[in-house]
Amino acid sequence: MRILIIEDEDKMARALRTGLEADQFSVGIAHTGEEGFFLASTESYDLVILDLMLPEHDGMQVLTALRQRGLAVPVLILTSKDTVKDRVLGLNAGADDYLVKPFAFSELLARIHALLRRGKQELADRLRFADLEMDASGRKVFRDGKELTLTAREFDLLEYLLRQQGRVVSREMLARDVWEETARYTPLDNVIDVHIAHLRRKLDDPFAKRLLHTVRGVGFVLREENP
Amino acid sequence: MSLRPKRVRTRLTLTYVGMLAGVLAVYFAGVSVLLFWQMSTVLKRLAAEDLETVKGLLLVSDDGQVDVREDFHHHTDWKQVQERLLEILSPDGTILYRNERLGNRTIGGPPFAGEGERGYSGRSARMSDGTPIILISRKYDLQGRTILIRVGYGRDLIWGELKETMLVLLLASPLVLAGTAFAGYKIVGRALDPVTKMALRAEQIDSERLNERLPIENPEDELGHLARVFNAMLSRIEQSFEQLQRFTADASHELRTPLASIRSIGEVRLQQSASPEEYRDTIGSMLEEVNRLSGVVDSLLTLSRADAGQIRMQVSVFPMMALVREAAALLEVLIDDKHLTFTLAGEESLGAEADRLYVRLAVVNILHNAVKFTPPGGSISARVKCTNHSQVELSITDSGPGIPAEVAPKVFERFYRLDESRSGEGMGAGLGLSIAKWAIEANGGQIGLANDPHSGSTFWLRLPAI
Repeated sequence: MRILIIEDEDKMARALRTGLEADQFSVGIAHTGEEGFFLASTESYDLVILDLMLPEHDGMQVLTALRQRGLAVPVLILTSKDTVKDRVLGLNAGADDYLVKPFAFSELLARIHALLRRGKQELADRLRFADLEMDASGRKVFRDGKELTLTAREFDLLEYLLRQQGRVVSREMLARDVWEETARYTPLDNVIDVHIAHLRRKLDDPFAKRLLHTVRGVGFVLREENP
Repeated sequence: MSLRPKRVRTRLTLTYVGMLAGVLAVYFAGVSVLLFWQMSTVLKRLAAEDLETVKGLLLVSDDGQVDVREDFHHHTDWKQVQERLLEILSPDGTILYRNERLGNRTIGGPPFAGEGERGYSGRSARMSDGTPIILISRKYDLQGRTILIRVGYGRDLIWGELKETMLVLLLASPLVLAGTAFAGYKIVGRALDPVTKMALRAEQIDSERLNERLPIENPEDELGHLARVFNAMLSRIEQSFEQLQRFTADASHELRTPLASIRSIGEVRLQQSASPEEYRDTIGSMLEEVNRLSGVVDSLLTLSRADAGQIRMQVSVFPMMALVREAAALLEVLIDDKHLTFTLAGEESLGAEADRLYVRLAVVNILHNAVKFTPPGGSISARVKCTNHSQVELSITDSGPGIPAEVAPKVFERFYRLDESRSGEGMGAGLGLSIAKWAIEANGGQIGLANDPHSGSTFWLRLPAI
């Protein structure tokens, strides 16, 4: 899978490339809008990550030009403008998703996977990870053949982690996707932490191998080994 | 180019003088009409006397000629008559007598029908040489003959008199006007003096000297009122300016603290070699600070947008009890974790009219605050009721240590923290309650703290009910 990053800030671009390459993507970088437009229209990418604040031609112009050319490649906008108006403007110009700086890298990764998956596959109903098995529609979960008794929220939390397995999930992602809180400033961090603790007590404590790990400063991840 | 003078002082003075000149002109016109009328009356009376005098002095000689009695040639009355223009005619227009002053000019031409038959007839006329005169005539019966006596007075007599009076008045008026202008200029200047002083002082007021105020000379008059209004405005500006300064200072402090942590954590770790595990830990700890920084920036942005009035409320009607229950459910794990008892009482039917999302945010923040400060095993009780001002009130009481009365007014201030040592915790940048306050007030409600130091604290909020 090939991803094009159009971002003028070199440090940011390089960090994104390192992160994406670690996730098995092949990455191209453009530092100006013009170069980005040229690369996006001449080479085939599976996804474009577009910064809105670019020198000369800003990201919105690049996006409009790409769409006018009839290029349907998914575009994910990165920006520090976070008003609803800016969001609507970006989505109307043909962006597929919108991420506000500063963002958690894990969130970017999740969005990229969602965009690439979009329209291709239904969400799997039976999820598996190590000796963990989940029946999402039946709302049952087993570890090592034993059924775990989870509250509704704990179940949703685990399902989300299972679907993102191997990838770190940030608290903001959980707040938005599991708790469905739209306001970014609702005090949910403590709530999430307590739920994670409860889940861990049921998921990991009775078993020898830990699956649910906390990545300090970033979030949580389902992983078999300590990295 | 405008001819309008720039200064109020000049303008007012000119207006005064102009108005006075107008009044004077009307006055002069009135005076001259009156004078003219009076003089005409006097003249007519004089003329009547003259006519009678002349008649008494006339005699008809034997040859039918009309003549003045010789013996009266030196009579004083006659002398007086000689200064007038005198003409005596027969009814058919034949001139019977003219006095010396008249010479061979005629006054008034041939008599018109009925001239002087009933009383005195007076009119303006011109002599044969064009001199304008006032003419008064009367018919008399003299020793069986009918004669018409005409006495004329030069119009100059009246006009001269009038002109003289007008001249005196007109000569005096520039002096009067100049005097008025001078006095007016001075008076206006004195009246406007406070304005000049206020302007001078106002020029010196800038952001550094917002505590200065305009001078008030007389608090009762209009300018005093103006100065008071300006001063009140300055006080408000000063207040919000101070608030802004404090906010900026607090905000930069809040941003600086995590930045300092990130910096020292990174620097210290780089000074010594460490295991990958230790590096990982260091980076994680730096990221924690970054998250905190992001949280502060998010909250600040929200508040600044709120201050700028950029956030629109989407008002709907919703039941209050359900909203509180929802907020409690969100925080349920925290409540259970601390073994707190949460109770909710009130009327299910009570609804509020507001933006549900922001009210929920406020309730969650208040409840979260209560959970934070209530010791394990304590209790939190929420109550929804209707106030008599058609408002719905929610009060949340905890069994925590309560809030000291002296800091109670500060709890809604931005960045205010009850417990400084807790600053690192999650949302606790000291903005939760100020966001709650904004959210409630933006929805037309009120929020407050009813303090009882012995039994925990009670936060209440009121919203418009349906």
